[in-house]
Amino acid sequence: MEKINAGDTAWLLASAALVMLMTPALGFFYGGLVRRKNVLATIMHSFFILCLISVQWVLWGYTLAFGPDIGGIIGGLDWAALRGVGQDPGPYAPTVPHEAYMVFQMMFAVITPALITGAFAERKRFKAFVVFTLLWATFVYDPVAHWVWGGGWLGQLGALDFAGGTVVHITSGVSALVAALVLGRRVGFGREAMDPHDATMTVLGASLLWFGWFGFNAGSAITAGGLAANAFVVTNTAAAMAALTWMTVSWLHKGAPSVLGAAAGAVAGLVAITPASGYVDVSASILIGLGAGIFCYTAIQITKRFKVDDALDVFGVHGVGGAWGALATGVFATVAVNSAAKDGLIAGNPGQLGIQAIAVLASIVYSAVMTFVILKLIDLFVGLRVPESEEVLGLDASQHREAAYQI
Amino acid sequence: MEFLAFASFAVLVVGWLVAPTRSITPVSHAEERKAA
Repeated sequence: MEKINAGDTAWLLASAALVMLMTPALGFFYGGLVRRKNVLATIMHSFFILCLISVQWVLWGYTLAFGPDIGGIIGGLDWAALRGVGQDPGPYAPTVPHEAYMVFQMMFAVITPALITGAFAERKRFKAFVVFTLLWATFVYDPVAHWVWGGGWLGQLGALDFAGGTVVHITSGVSALVAALVLGRRVGFGREAMDPHDATMTVLGASLLWFGWFGFNAGSAITAGGLAANAFVVTNTAAAMAALTWMTVSWLHKGAPSVLGAAAGAVAGLVAITPASGYVDVSASILIGLGAGIFCYTAIQITKRFKVDDALDVFGVHGVGGAWGALATGVFATVAVNSAAKDGLIAGNPGQLGIQAIAVLASIVYSAVMTFVILKLIDLFVGLRVPESEEVLGLDASQHREAAYQI
Repeated sequence: MEFLAFASFAVLVVGWLVAPTRSITPVSHAEERKAA
């Protein structure tokens, strides 16, 4: 067994803290986009998930995702309540305490269901949201994390996902689309304005997400070395390029350079570079950012044309951005960046793109089916939506009996 | 790859140059009062 490395451990714990910040940042990003009467409820979604999954993860989430493999499908219960997960290194990271690796992964498990909340904003019953989050984390996130990172079948197949294109973004983005379809549109959707109540809050949230994403991607190197530095650089570059692209496309399309568009574009770029960040160089990150800006913007226009009320465009940004990033990894990956990985299409290994496509397809189908089943069960026993009168009143008052602003 | 990276950035710069520059005409106080 290798000795614990102080630099690696310090970087991983700092990265875990950076990723933790992303969930409240997401709350601000989403909170600014909703109407004034729903801002507290929207921020509460993210904050509550931070608390809920922190406990779920230590009790059974971590062992389901990363415990000893059972048939390539799920982890065993050997590490339930973190039995045997201590200060010595575990099997996934030989130079850091197992607990440090566990808590870093916890923050990924926290933010993933929080991403979905943007799709059902302004209309979901809080109790339904609580039950949904617990079931979704257990039956969707934990198994898919195991498939890719925990020694499961996609990892064995050779799928590359450095920091969560399939595990985090495709699962949450596709589940968001299913949730939007199952819950139905908000009262007044398409008839009345539902403009963001505070764009400044959204830009602040996007900026904090960008900051935290350095932990998400560069932290996924697990070591404090060259691979982390590469992931940091390509993450920043793709985010910037996607923000520039989204703003430009929206400027040409709608006649003005949108501030919210630039913020959404940055997030789309961060999403797309996530699976690729440990495998591609900086030129590829520019192309990945360009693609993210174009594809995600286009996907949102199409979703709107079909009048799907994915309230805060989760599917367009995370589902499409995650799928683009996962496939782009199969195109641009090179062992020149990561000698422990594999080449992609351009470096002469077209088979990798096929493996990436299988990973994308499996994540889409599994998360869509499971989310649909979970939502239907909750609707049966708890009820998904608040009554129309409460929706009109706003969720801050009807669900939490509080108001965001006294001014 | 490097060529494509430079080219894609150049396309954005061209986009900014050709993008519309319309602005909303400010409404004067007199016009506001008239409209009221």
